[in-house]
Amino acid sequence: MAIVTPGKRPGKRIAASRVFGKKFGRSKKTGNAGLMLTSLVDMFTIIVIFLLQNFSANGEILYMSKDIKLPDAIHGAQLERAPVISVSNDAVTFDGRQVATTDDLTKGDVLNVPELEDALREEKRRYEQIHANDPDHPFKGLVNVQADRRIQFKVIKRVMFSCNQSGFGNINFAALSKSAAEVKTVTAANN
Amino acid sequence: MSASPQEHTGKGGKKALDAELNLVPFIDLLSCCISFLLITAVWTQIAGLQVASSGGPPDQQQKQENTIDVKLLVTEKGYSLTMAGAAIDIPKINGKDGTPAFDRKVLSDKLKTLKASLPDQSSITVQPEDVVAYEDLVNTVDTCLGEQLRNVTVAPLN
Repeated sequence: MAIVTPGKRPGKRIAASRVFGKKFGRSKKTGNAGLMLTSLVDMFTIIVIFLLQNFSANGEILYMSKDIKLPDAIHGAQLERAPVISVSNDAVTFDGRQVATTDDLTKGDVLNVPELEDALREEKRRYEQIHANDPDHPFKGLVNVQADRRIQFKVIKRVMFSCNQSGFGNINFAALSKSAAEVKTVTAANN
Repeated sequence: MSASPQEHTGKGGKKALDAELNLVPFIDLLSCCISFLLITAVWTQIAGLQVASSGGPPDQQQKQENTIDVKLLVTEKGYSLTMAGAAIDIPKINGKDGTPAFDRKVLSDKLKTLKASLPDQSSITVQPEDVVAYEDLVNTVDTCLGEQLRNVTVAPLN
């Protein structure tokens, strides 16, 4: 018996048939395999749209430290670029540089924080020097305060007093932006 | 993927009308966009609650006649809303974990009533005690801003 390749072996009459014969015809397969790229392009497009929606031209204004857990706020406005005072449980920093420890601010009865005031005055002087010939950007006295949610007002009060003494009367309290629906969902889940 | 339509064989056969786009440069572009957007993405949305500290620049509302001086004391016991000589106490309620929490809903209602009777009123002075946490202060200021009291001044109680 002759050796044949495995598979279906139709009879001669069926193989010759115009209707059924095509099924058994053996065509040459090309070596190229085409990838289906349409779904990949669809996925990329969706990702790009999602990322564009979340895109913020302002970038990161505050450095999010793991020591500082911000409270939530619903009616907050977008933060403007301004000097940042961070108050964690350990230290008070101005633009990343430590100016006092939180313990010191908790203990003392005096309102002002000299190191912070000096740093703020220096910042104000620098700003006014840079924008001396720029009437479009007057000094607004804006400062961002970023504090841990458990920090007592006694510490915040001293920071605010120092800001006020140095000419920074407009204070932005930083908080995590939440929508009202989000807050309701979290509350319902907790109940 | 091929860029051109099916080649004409010259044998008089039917010419295919389907054309395949070259997707490779498009995928390259999208990959670059995704990389750029992922690197520059800001995942935490930070909000700012603008307040004026006491002794800062005076607000413009002081000249208006149909507004009153509204003070909101934030103490350990709860809120105390003082306006036109009258004081409304809003004590703390049991929070979600059993600890006393500020009753922001009642405060919101009271401020809503105030705003309804004095539509031009936009300033309020929040006076927290020393022991009040930053979270409670922010929540209180947030409630005031939510009731269209846009000029919030924070001043120490003592």
